[in-house]
Amino acid sequence: MIEAQIALKGVGKQFGNGVAALKNVSLEVQQGEVVVVVGPSGSGKSTLLRALNGLEGISAGEIWVDGQAVHDRRTNLNRLRTRVGMVFQQFNLFPHKTALGNVMLAPMQVAGVAPAEAQARAQRLLEKVGLGERGASYPAQLSGGQQQRVAIARALAMQPDIMLFDEPTSALDPELRGEVLEVMKALALEGMTMVVVTHEMSFAQAVAHRVLFMDGGELVYQDTPAGFFGQPKNERLRTFLGQVLKA
Amino acid sequence: MVREQRLAAERDLTQPPHHRWLWNGVYAVVIVALGFAVYTTSKRVDYTWRWERIPQYIVSNEGERVATPADGIVRLDPSGRALEIHAQSDPPQVTRIDNVDRITAGEGDPVFAGDIVAIRQGYAAGPLLIGLWITLKISALSLVFALALGLVAGLGRVSANPAAHNLATTYVEIIRGTPLLVQIFIMYFFIGTVLDLSAFTAGVAALAVFTGAYVAEIVRAGIEAVPKGQMEAARSLGMSYPQAMRFVILPQALRRTLPPMAGQFINLVKDSSLVSIIAITDLTKAGREIVSSTFAPFEVWFTVALMYLVLTGTLSWVVRRMERRLAASD
Repeated sequence: MIEAQIALKGVGKQFGNGVAALKNVSLEVQQGEVVVVVGPSGSGKSTLLRALNGLEGISAGEIWVDGQAVHDRRTNLNRLRTRVGMVFQQFNLFPHKTALGNVMLAPMQVAGVAPAEAQARAQRLLEKVGLGERGASYPAQLSGGQQQRVAIARALAMQPDIMLFDEPTSALDPELRGEVLEVMKALALEGMTMVVVTHEMSFAQAVAHRVLFMDGGELVYQDTPAGFFGQPKNERLRTFLGQVLKA
Repeated sequence: MVREQRLAAERDLTQPPHHRWLWNGVYAVVIVALGFAVYTTSKRVDYTWRWERIPQYIVSNEGERVATPADGIVRLDPSGRALEIHAQSDPPQVTRIDNVDRITAGEGDPVFAGDIVAIRQGYAAGPLLIGLWITLKISALSLVFALALGLVAGLGRVSANPAAHNLATTYVEIIRGTPLLVQIFIMYFFIGTVLDLSAFTAGVAALAVFTGAYVAEIVRAGIEAVPKGQMEAARSLGMSYPQAMRFVILPQALRRTLPPMAGQFINLVKDSSLVSIIAITDLTKAGREIVSSTFAPFEVWFTVALMYLVLTGTLSWVVRRMERRLAASD
């Protein structure tokens, strides 16, 4: 029996053009752990994240989430995904629905929750991300930071055990990033299992239990934040950190 | 609105104002010259214009001819303003026709459903107006079926399932690659014979199948215009593909397809003139029939063209209003 909440064994992913996006990645994430993945663009970190809920198929290896085999075609991915929330770089809110409508949709249509209860639950989640007053607003009427917080509430609506964040602040103006990171920090403190792909080194330092460095599709290095940002023993990571922290 | 203002502004940039009335003048001169050309040409062919014959074919004051809805024997009412049709069935059925002005059938006449038995005075729609109504009815009916067909085929076009995708593609390619007139013939003479379809049904079916292929492409384009992230977000919440389509993708896609869809409806109205070839008395067929009885082809065809233009013009006006409202709500 697999103990870890997320377990990857020798995961590989080959794109049609022969480019390897993931090379032999093995990883375990325990329940309640916050793992931050960093690395240069094109290093495969987003692909890794999207493989965790089966949005991206893999060509080799195994992925186990909540004891379910994501790599197995027979697994009901729809059911698995209700337990894995995902937040996207471009928010991907449904523009034809209000903030409340965005959060209510999946509980009603997927979980069969009654409309009144779905609405009450959605309202609580919007309050949790600090947007209790904006339930009737459409995404276009909200700032980027507010949209991303609605997207987090939407991902939480199915009451997932795991949350995946794919560069949640990269599309935001610097002054709007804080409000999103605050919500994520609160979530981490509640004990949510989180895998976060980000360029926010300060978030990694403050919140992560473990930081992963990916380069060229490989999981090159992993350590606690202290070790990761202190004196990493890896040359590629030192070069990367030198570039990122200078900027 | 905004777009029109921008276009006007661009015109202002490219043309000094005093040139504008010059070119408006050129427009007027060309139109007048064209009208004069038509006039002199008709003079040369020694044609006598008889416009006064046309109005009676639009609205006639000959009265409305009343047909019996059932078979039976005529019994006249003493008032002379009503009659009864007694069917020789068991039990006997009586159909009463009231408020007529002149009865053309005689007491005791045997009549069959569809026979004219009386006249109601007053104005009645002439053949052209009836034809226009048939044209509108065929177009609207075809549109309903074309929308259903096009939605299914459009979903097939974007489907990853090879059977659905290839079937939809084959349908669209065959229909778009053959002339509508040929499709109407095949629908009427081949499929219509096999399935025993009436001309009207065959006409509606042919137009629906034809328009459905174009609707499918509009639906496909609408779905593909929705950002990929929408499908991913929906699937990441545990929605199945059909759920994501129904609740997330289609509501957004169909909004975008409203204007091109309305444009397709205008095309449908014009294309419907081709069904006149299989004995459906639409506006075009009505025109042909009137030409053969009045020998006034020029006036009739100009009138028919004008009636189509009024119909399509009204529709495109409605479409423009709809586009504006959609643009405002975005």
